[in-house]
Amino acid sequence: MNTDELVAHGRSRFEHAAARRLLKEKYQAKLIFAHAGGMWTAGPELINILTASLECGQQGLVLLDMYETPVMVDYKELLKLAQQRWQEQMTAWLVEYEELNKNR
Amino acid sequence: MTTGALIFALNNEKIDYASMARWSARNIERHLGIPTHIVTEQEVEVKDTNSRWFGDFDTAVMWHNQSRVNAYDLSPWDRTLVLDADYVVASDQLKLLLDVDQDFLAHRWAYDVTAKDNFAGYNYFGNHQMPMWWATVMMFRRSIHAQHVFESMTMVQDHWHHYRKLYKFSNHSYRNDYALSIALGIVDGHTLDHAGIPWDLASLTTEHKLTQLGQDEFRVDFLNSEQKPRWTKLKNQDFHAMGKQQLGEIIANNT
Repeated sequence: MNTDELVAHGRSRFEHAAARRLLKEKYQAKLIFAHAGGMWTAGPELINILTASLECGQQGLVLLDMYETPVMVDYKELLKLAQQRWQEQMTAWLVEYEELNKNR
Repeated sequence: MTTGALIFALNNEKIDYASMARWSARNIERHLGIPTHIVTEQEVEVKDTNSRWFGDFDTAVMWHNQSRVNAYDLSPWDRTLVLDADYVVASDQLKLLLDVDQDFLAHRWAYDVTAKDNFAGYNYFGNHQMPMWWATVMMFRRSIHAQHVFESMTMVQDHWHHYRKLYKFSNHSYRNDYALSIALGIVDGHTLDHAGIPWDLASLTTEHKLTQLGQDEFRVDFLNSEQKPRWTKLKNQDFHAMGKQQLGEIIANNT
């Protein structure tokens, strides 16, 4: 075993992980949005609950926001905003992630 | 409801906070679309002066940081974003804080953009390791709650040495972050349950080199644990530049 190579590899992995973490911090912040006085994170959990509720015929009901405050929301509007934010930011995340891997 | 930003810019012999604030105001207008009021020496009576070691200047520099507690009285807005002059607005992220139904928000956590420092020494304070809330970015709207936060900060500032002993921290110099953390504790009944800004504060410490690559795009050069040069890029991302000298140079090149 070449320990120098192993150490260099480990360091390189560490630095790559740090860069990935920085990217994650950035895009987790960008996935947050405000609606109806509440703060929400665009993601599968929110999108799925809204989609399922709309399929059941619910239109405007109360959801807990990031501050655990109950907020009356328009499900359709919130779903539209969440899907839009999710698509935009995940695409931008992917672009930066691929650039990061290229530079590695 | 009127909305705007407030930046405190009290120059000292080394740092031109006023230029930083003017640069920041332009970024705020561009990204957030709100006006900014800059508080300078002329408008605020500074009770006392602190000195603090600034790593990037390698010397102790006068630090006029005691007027922040007056933000509630000085702000002409119904909803106000209070920003440090060295907070770089490079995105519309802070817009979210202007639409949320909360009276007061600040960052609970900060992190090092180079991941070299785990920031444990920054995110807690005192021997009791009290959680620290950052006064770098504060959003408040006119309300009893926000008023109490600022009044409590003033009380902590006025009795700094008492609170220094109570919370067992060594800083003789007044710090807004500590005063805010103690004030939030008082106002929220010492529950440590305060509404925070739901993302962490990207921060750049003084030992790293900051350069501008383009509008809203910055490069951070740093040395890894083996002292080998490394760099990372910040693009369309807000951050707190603790190295005032480098930020000052960037701003000088922009004006």
